[in-house]
Amino acid sequence: MSYVYYPGCSLSGTARECEESIQSVMRVLGVKWTELEDWNCCGAAIATGVSYLLSLALPARNLALSERAECDLVTGCSRCYLNLIRAKHYIQHNANLREDVNAILAEAGIQYTGTARLRHLLDVVINDVGLDTVAEKVTQPLDSLRVAAYYGCCQGMWTYAQFDSVEDPTCFDRLLGALGAEVVYFPLKTACCGGTLSMSKRSVGANLIGDLLAAAVASEADCIVTACPLCMFNLNSFQNEAGRAKGTQFHVPVLFFTQLMGLAFGVPPKTLGLHRNAVSPDALYKKLAAGAASSAEAVASGLK
Amino acid sequence: MAVQALAPCSERVQIMKDPLGHSFEFCYQCGLCTASCRTAFAMRYTPRQVMNLLQLGCEDEAVASGSGLLCTACYSCTFRCPRGVAVTDMMAAIQRRNLASKHADSDLRRFYRSFMRTIERHGRFHEVEFMTRYFGPNPLLLKAEFGVGLQLLIKGKISLNAPAMKNPKAVAAMFRKAEEIESGP
Repeated sequence: MSYVYYPGCSLSGTARECEESIQSVMRVLGVKWTELEDWNCCGAAIATGVSYLLSLALPARNLALSERAECDLVTGCSRCYLNLIRAKHYIQHNANLREDVNAILAEAGIQYTGTARLRHLLDVVINDVGLDTVAEKVTQPLDSLRVAAYYGCCQGMWTYAQFDSVEDPTCFDRLLGALGAEVVYFPLKTACCGGTLSMSKRSVGANLIGDLLAAAVASEADCIVTACPLCMFNLNSFQNEAGRAKGTQFHVPVLFFTQLMGLAFGVPPKTLGLHRNAVSPDALYKKLAAGAASSAEAVASGLK
Repeated sequence: MAVQALAPCSERVQIMKDPLGHSFEFCYQCGLCTASCRTAFAMRYTPRQVMNLLQLGCEDEAVASGSGLLCTACYSCTFRCPRGVAVTDMMAAIQRRNLASKHADSDLRRFYRSFMRTIERHGRFHEVEFMTRYFGPNPLLLKAEFGVGLQLLIKGKISLNAPAMKNPKAVAAMFRKAEEIESGP
């Protein structure tokens, strides 16, 4: 399978830790790709608030570029994925829109024909690489960790609709299970984190983030694992505000899923960008070390 | 639930050339959109009420309420709507009209415009340029964002260099064409 990789703006900027972990984990898994040449911003959650046509044409240019490359287009950002698949779907189902979008793309010297194949990174890891291969690469099982698998919202529905149940996706649970982690009950697993409201309407955003953190605390999770860089940013960076909104204090490590995979594969935390996480994952390392020591002890006592 | 190509209601979602087309006419006011909405608690009119206002021809009231600005575009409402109404796109449409109107919150409008102007110039997001454009006219806003900004800087997550797209002019040309089509007859 050949891929072109679309990192998007977050992964090459404020979500650098996610990108660092994606690259190192894909090296371990032997997934090879080239970066989509001269990609542009997909419009994030902002373009729809300014121009309907641009919110479709910006992602369409990236789709068109991937058609030229004749490879599956992979993205690790759920918002980029959403915008890309929305554009693909809308253009396919409305001939007038297709005409307008291609008129806009003509200005950039490209046309979109509709054959682009779009893949989410999670889809590639689970369905192309496969959970057996993932499990084989585990050198430090995460047995001692209790993990809340946070699928994310739009992503939750639109993304998982491609390869999992829409309302109750389980692929992420299975992936984390393959790493040895214990996946806790997390009823808000597909509830929205508020997206850009954390910046544009702080009081509302903090409430939504607080709900998620509180649910993870109630499930006694050691950490939340997410598949979206914006969820990652919100849940990490606004724990103080969320705590104030909920009348409590939060200190919940939030990891990108490839960071946790990297830990299970024995990749050094710094290579995975874990030192860049706003909430320090130190408590996780301690728990993992204690878990490893006690299982070594169990093996030793078994030998006696 | 069986996994389908796109969504349970994909065949029925009404995709309009202009999302304020006629999609809302299919709404029968069941309220599944509002029940699915994480931010409805903060809205003056919930998504179901917005659909009703549009049906009643009270578009201005829906736009002025600012409800569209609270939509996070999570698409839960659109996915669950039994009538295939493109609720999210309509919330975005009233959001666009609000931001373009004279009643718009000037900081919020600048938030959106600064982002888009940055993309228009570089083709990709450029944190420093966005922040200069957004915070420049009202530095008081920095007070709330200072902690997060400083932390991003310390953790090495803000690049001071402009993004390196080879052909950012292509994106700028797309912006011009989109504006031409949208302001057309």
